[in-house]
Amino acid sequence: MALEDLRNEMETCRRCSACKFIPLEKVDNYEHVNVCPSIARYDFHTYSAGGRMVFAVAKLEDRIDYSDKLLEVVYNCQMCGACDVSCKYAMDMEVMEPLYEFRIRCVEDGQTLPALDKVINSLRKQGTMVPGAKAKRGAWAEGLDIKDVTKEKVKVLYHVGCRTSYDKDLWKVAKATVSLLSKAGVDVGIAGAEEVCCGGRAYQMGYKDDFLKQAEQNLETFRKSGAEILVTSCAEGYQAFKVLYDKYGMQPDIEVLHITEYLDRLITEGRLKPKKKVNMRVTYHDPCYLGRLGEPYIHWEGREIPGHIRVFDPPKEFRRGTYGVYEPPRDVLKSIPGLKLTEMDRIKEYAWCCGAGGGVCDSNPDYAMWTARERISEAESTGAEAMVTACPWCEKTFDDAIRESGSSLKLYDVVELLDKAV
Amino acid sequence: MALNRDFYKAVEDVLGPEYISDDPVVTESYSFPIRAATAGPKGEYLPRFEAITLPKNTREVQAIVKLCNKYKVQFKASSTGWLYSDPAGPDCIKIDLRRMNSILEINEKNMYAVVEPYVIYAQLQAELMKRGLNCNVTGAGSNCSALPLAAHVNLGHLSQTGSYGERNQLALEWVTGDGEIVRMGSLGSSDEWFCGDGPGPSLRGIIRGNTVPLGGLGVFTAAAQKVYHWPGPPTFSIEGVCPHYSPSELPPGFMIRYLSFKTVDAMIEAVRKIGESEIGFELMGFNAAMMASNVATDNEEDLRYFKQFSDQVQGPGFMVNIAATSQRDFKYKKRVLEMIMEQTDALSLKDVEDPKLGAGFLWRFIRTVGSIRETSRATGWGGGTVGGTDVFPLMTRYIMYTVDLKQELIDKGMILDDAIYPFVQSIEHGHTGHGEILIRYAPTNAEQMDNIQGFLNRAANKRAIEGRFGVPQHVWSDELHDMYGPEACNYHMLLRKIKKTFDPNGASESSNYITAKDV
Repeated sequence: MALEDLRNEMETCRRCSACKFIPLEKVDNYEHVNVCPSIARYDFHTYSAGGRMVFAVAKLEDRIDYSDKLLEVVYNCQMCGACDVSCKYAMDMEVMEPLYEFRIRCVEDGQTLPALDKVINSLRKQGTMVPGAKAKRGAWAEGLDIKDVTKEKVKVLYHVGCRTSYDKDLWKVAKATVSLLSKAGVDVGIAGAEEVCCGGRAYQMGYKDDFLKQAEQNLETFRKSGAEILVTSCAEGYQAFKVLYDKYGMQPDIEVLHITEYLDRLITEGRLKPKKKVNMRVTYHDPCYLGRLGEPYIHWEGREIPGHIRVFDPPKEFRRGTYGVYEPPRDVLKSIPGLKLTEMDRIKEYAWCCGAGGGVCDSNPDYAMWTARERISEAESTGAEAMVTACPWCEKTFDDAIRESGSSLKLYDVVELLDKAV
Repeated sequence: MALNRDFYKAVEDVLGPEYISDDPVVTESYSFPIRAATAGPKGEYLPRFEAITLPKNTREVQAIVKLCNKYKVQFKASSTGWLYSDPAGPDCIKIDLRRMNSILEINEKNMYAVVEPYVIYAQLQAELMKRGLNCNVTGAGSNCSALPLAAHVNLGHLSQTGSYGERNQLALEWVTGDGEIVRMGSLGSSDEWFCGDGPGPSLRGIIRGNTVPLGGLGVFTAAAQKVYHWPGPPTFSIEGVCPHYSPSELPPGFMIRYLSFKTVDAMIEAVRKIGESEIGFELMGFNAAMMASNVATDNEEDLRYFKQFSDQVQGPGFMVNIAATSQRDFKYKKRVLEMIMEQTDALSLKDVEDPKLGAGFLWRFIRTVGSIRETSRATGWGGGTVGGTDVFPLMTRYIMYTVDLKQELIDKGMILDDAIYPFVQSIEHGHTGHGEILIRYAPTNAEQMDNIQGFLNRAANKRAIEGRFGVPQHVWSDELHDMYGPEACNYHMLLRKIKKTFDPNGASESSNYITAKDV
């Protein structure tokens, strides 16, 4: 939907500032009331979803034009979707859609940031969203006994994702995943060097055409694999396959699961039995793209019925983060003997972002680090000795922030802890 | 008009370059209105602020204000900011108080709290509840500033037991229009915030009257307010995922009902009796439409609930809840409420009696989170008319005296047909009351808006004066003050003298308050 078509959504903003805070029913202390990293960091209303609605309308009306400042504001946003949830607690209007469409318009008009162009050039030339990566895609699996889906049929296709593939520090997660799936007797394979980027991050950055190209390639890989289930341990990959592809009418003919969903299923079916104690007090960080933005896409076509209340024909169900993936990772953690899960103030649909999303880790690493440090501080306040997450982008960003800040907080992926217990 | 660069540089030196901007992208985002349909008769937008500033403390606010006076630049301060205090003239800057967001003190023993302007009520209330205390929350919602002077009249759902801004206001720190720092009440003679009237200067009647100055009389940088006993749990355990939140059950000692009555007189009698017996924790005269919007999670559901509730009410009504300090107290309050219901032929809305649904209502009313749903979800635009604050029956009768105006608009199809019952509320157990008519509609152009809101304003003002109902609380301009002043002891002349005295250069932009013209 073009930005022009979202004008009424943007103009419905009442400037109540709900987009800046966690849903107000859930506030139970002074701290951790902010939900949007961008307004929390930069303070001007401009950086909130409400401010973004206003200047987007102004841009449509040519009251403002492209400028360095405009691009700085547009791209200093992780596209984490927290504003969308908090707004829609009370309102019936789209918030994330205009944010996506504004970026897409920027790219169409050639208004981008060099740092993001570099990432996209990396995608176009090297096939990865990790520019300058030294490793080769699929190298993480060298020496592992795992099927190659380009050569043989499997039931489960494991998509590893750019971040894990090209970051040797994260290979342990991919290896633990394969280890667990093998222990459960799952017929699993990977595309190895033939795996391609999901395109989700490109979409977040506004490069819609690049996203669509990646989607087409992936659909072909999925089709050829003959697999029944697609599993990924990357939250952004999950959201791309499950939500974005569907949004553009490219829903894969394969069941898409995040690894935590699949492991939870395997545990429930008794195919994985966590028995070894992992004596640790942990807190869980909900990745934005697995949680609130991971809820299924809801297709709707129709019209707004003219009148004094916004209702639609046929009725429109707004996505509000209600059906994101929140419980499976928690259920997996709760299945681990000896492990104690303690929750942070901002969780599930109103979780604070890790800082990496929307290309911010490339366009403004300092801001990404600031956002991550905020979360680390919140995790520390729970008394947990470790923070657990379920996305390599989160893990990478937190790892950098922990190193930088000298925090003693340990960091794990859910998969790693389960692997210790099985 | 370009801002004087020397002025900009001077403010930048105070705040640092990160906290001032005159970039159009930034100033535009503070604009009002945002949609062309709501712009002026010729489609014009209001002037933009010349720059936005973000001070961190009172010293920085004072420095900005003094520079404004020196360079003849106007300023307007606001905190969380709903729409209507923002329009500005040219050569005016914004003081956005967002970085002043600390709870300075919660004094449990003497039952007051001191906050800076960008603490929101949700934060303050949450911290108070952990200490067995509670505060009044402005009816606009807990997303709003907890500074009692920032929140218009500051009436809210809790005003039955938690009063409102004018009465809760204690000591205050104020940067006047010409840049003096005034420490009002006990703060004027000590570092204590416990009293608004002394020892030290008492200026409560200066810094607010019928309403607050809406940013037109300098900047309020910190304030103390009374807080009250909270008999409930330290936190509410909320289940579900947004937007389907609800406490699992009503906490012990709590009860909520929505009561409707056959006549306005019966409703007034019930309010009087509940007030006299002091059994109500909150008493808010919502109508069926507001109850529906409060519980519904989208507009479709809103319409369904509205029909469902409308079928169950017999006339005007209100939400009342009970918060008891003991089992015995609860039994007593419940019994008294039942007797009052019997005596006034009250009909209880069955859906609210449902423990699960009722618990949700209770928490949304206490935390005050439904206001955005009730006023803004329909189209993002709304309006209405408000009465003043006076004895409850008078205020009820005033607002009932204007409901035919809403009916007229409904009959013409110009606004949403959500029935005409206004909402009226009781304050301090019925000591005073207040009423409002809310309307919701889709704005299309300036003429249509004038035919709706303009018509309502003009007619309601005329009736307020003719009926001797006192000065309403939407008197936000020279024009309105000039109209009401002669009808009310020429108060506007005094207000102008106050404005002139504390803001001699007119630096504090006051289009929503009063100017010092003719003084």
